[in-house]
Amino acid sequence: MTAIAEREVALVDLVDKLLGGGVVIAGDITLAVADVDLVYVQLRALISSVATAQDKQLLPRMGDAL
Amino acid sequence: MRDKLLHAPLDLDPFARTVPRIDDALSRRVNADPESLERGLAQLVLTIVELLRQLMERQALRRIDAGSLTGEQEERLGRTFMELDQRMAELREEFGLTEEDLNLDLGPLGRLL
Amino acid sequence: MIELYAITDDPGPPLPDVAGLRLVPFDGLAAVCTPASEAEVSPETLWHHEEVVEALMADRDLLPVRYGTRLDDEAAVARAMEGRSGELAAALDRVRGAVELSVRVVAAGGTPSPPDPPETTSGAEYLRVRAQAEASHDDVARALHEPLAERARESTEGRPHPPELFRAAYLVERAAIDSFVAEVGRLQSVSAGLAILCTGPWPPYSFAER
Repeated sequence: MTAIAEREVALVDLVDKLLGGGVVIAGDITLAVADVDLVYVQLRALISSVATAQDKQLLPRMGDAL
Repeated sequence: MRDKLLHAPLDLDPFARTVPRIDDALSRRVNADPESLERGLAQLVLTIVELLRQLMERQALRRIDAGSLTGEQEERLGRTFMELDQRMAELREEFGLTEEDLNLDLGPLGRLL
Repeated sequence: MIELYAITDDPGPPLPDVAGLRLVPFDGLAAVCTPASEAEVSPETLWHHEEVVEALMADRDLLPVRYGTRLDDEAAVARAMEGRSGELAAALDRVRGAVELSVRVVAAGGTPSPPDPPETTSGAEYLRVRAQAEASHDDVARALHEPLAERARESTEGRPHPPELFRAAYLVERAAIDSFVAEVGRLQSVSAGLAILCTGPWPPYSFAER
């Protein structure tokens, strides 16, 4: 029982690292649909700029509707 | 598998809870047929919505911290976010997506959320 | 098709005894690869991949490559490496002699944090619960992250997945692993309200790219 739990816990970390980390080399990455990957890249640029805008307090104030 | 736990509490359960979804996430990723493409698009859209929702929620919390909102505004904000949260859960269910699915892997740029 | 595992120095120690393991050299570095596996992605294939990278890591420094990276053939690998040797050599130097240790923290006693507010909750209460979660994270981050980061060459915070309060990866000198783990133990002993998990050593996945 404990051995299984340990392995499951380690798997959470393993998946996080293997799929989210490591050097990325251009190629056929089997874990993504290639076309959608391109859209992700653009999306992240958008998110970064939103986060920066937020830090610089450039985002509009909350409207009265809320 | 070789022991990877260098320091662990007795109760490992809270650290393993995401596991049931892992098999799901893995099998979905290798699937390149048109149906999953559609779901992939829903995934993208919902992730943007989720990101904006979180940004706005955090913004609201900051303003509350700063004391710049009335009690009534707080109440309305809270209810709006609560409803948004619920609606997101419904949308996720409609497309068969989990919370983890909205934490997209952006390749060279890391995870979205 | 070829599957990539890691970038290493070239020349280096002989490769471990893994079927089909080969080096594709480029400019003082090498990409370590095998013929691509036909098997579907599963926890088993992930662990197998990890075993290969760790076997390499046992006697050399390396940059782990993202799982699932495949190219047509060795010529394609060489092409992909073109112009990147400077960048990859610098990245390898950043992680030289160090491994990755992972830390995750939840509230002790198995209390999930925060619970989903029931539908009848007021808006203000909903925000209070959210604010609580944010505050908890920041408290934990301050109390644990600083002393641990001090014992690491580099560190990076991850996004905690509920019920986690905090999640981070630390780049730790191989020789300092024991003292890092000892510090985790010490922090646990003075943090009764938290349950701290530390796993590793892992190849430096979270520090391989900027």
